[in-house]
Amino acid sequence: MRDRVGLGWRAELAAGILTHADRIDLVEVIADDWFECGRRELRALRTLGAQVPLVLHGVGLGLASSVPVDGHRLEAMARVLEAARPEFWSEHLAFVRGGGREIGHLAAPPRTAATIEGATANLDRARTIVGSAPLLENIATLIDPPGSDRDEAVFVRDVAETANAELLLDLHNLHANSVNFGFDALAYLDALPIHRIHAVHLAGGRWISASGGQRRLLDDHLHDVPEAVFTLLEELGARSLRPLTVIVERDGSYPPIAALLDELDQARGALARGRARRVRAA
Amino acid sequence: MSARAFEALLARLYTDEQARRDFLTDPRGTAARAGLEPSEIDSLAAIDRVGLELSAESFARKRATRGPRRSAWRRRLTGLALWLRA
Repeated sequence: MRDRVGLGWRAELAAGILTHADRIDLVEVIADDWFECGRRELRALRTLGAQVPLVLHGVGLGLASSVPVDGHRLEAMARVLEAARPEFWSEHLAFVRGGGREIGHLAAPPRTAATIEGATANLDRARTIVGSAPLLENIATLIDPPGSDRDEAVFVRDVAETANAELLLDLHNLHANSVNFGFDALAYLDALPIHRIHAVHLAGGRWISASGGQRRLLDDHLHDVPEAVFTLLEELGARSLRPLTVIVERDGSYPPIAALLDELDQARGALARGRARRVRAA
Repeated sequence: MSARAFEALLARLYTDEQARRDFLTDPRGTAARAGLEPSEIDSLAAIDRVGLELSAESFARKRATRGPRRSAWRRRLTGLALWLRA
């Protein structure tokens, strides 16, 4: 079994990533950044894919919705996939627009049968137009989504099982939601179909306050990966039987590349500890 | 369940400050006027108000920092980095 640990491709990190490609197993590129570009620019993406293993990550399809996903966006995703030839692609279990309004980011949908039905139909539409289905990622939310009739772990499990989808488990999103809404992150992990988890995201965040002083943990990708997230990675490593692809996401306040490479090594260490526990238990 | 209407109202609450203020003054009335069913109206009347405030702020920050211009810049810099390495 070979786990792999990589980094989110960001233009600001390009020089550091390319200089230290021997310590980065793969990169994850934001697909939506390439939706509007022409052939010449897509060649750059193909060149990148020739130099380092690459996966694609979508942020704007809005799959977890009762509204059918936009066919033009799926066609754009198909074009980028064709150019980049990634090992896989992923998208969020989120809705990002409603009633003609763009929310601007990932919003937690009502966790209901209607959303599961909509997400399943959208996954089928993606399979038809793009040619493959994305891994589905759990999202961080600052609001307990209204209208829900099940908890988050059950919702993610139900979508994955109904849509026959694989999962990208974002462990900082899981950590943030668990502290914000007071549930046990390990119980969440145990409620998921672990065999469907193929990839993992790690990131950091910060505490923010509402006008009344109540605090919530924001997943902002601007801070170091906290220890609690590495602990969850170890726990996942101890439970999973399949190779995992782990991506560290950083979207700004960039530290020196050495610090990010150190986070990749910490992730490798956490996974190795988890794998060793599973072997001992067997 | 009027799922589309529910999502549309949530999107409005997340992005429109005045709509959010009106809703917080009269959540049941706002939800009823949006065509929602009684169970949906109940859920919105009990909405996580702290979460709504923080989510709306977070989404507004994201809208302010994302866009086609930023994507184009990222692509150009990616191309430049690869060209320099070649």
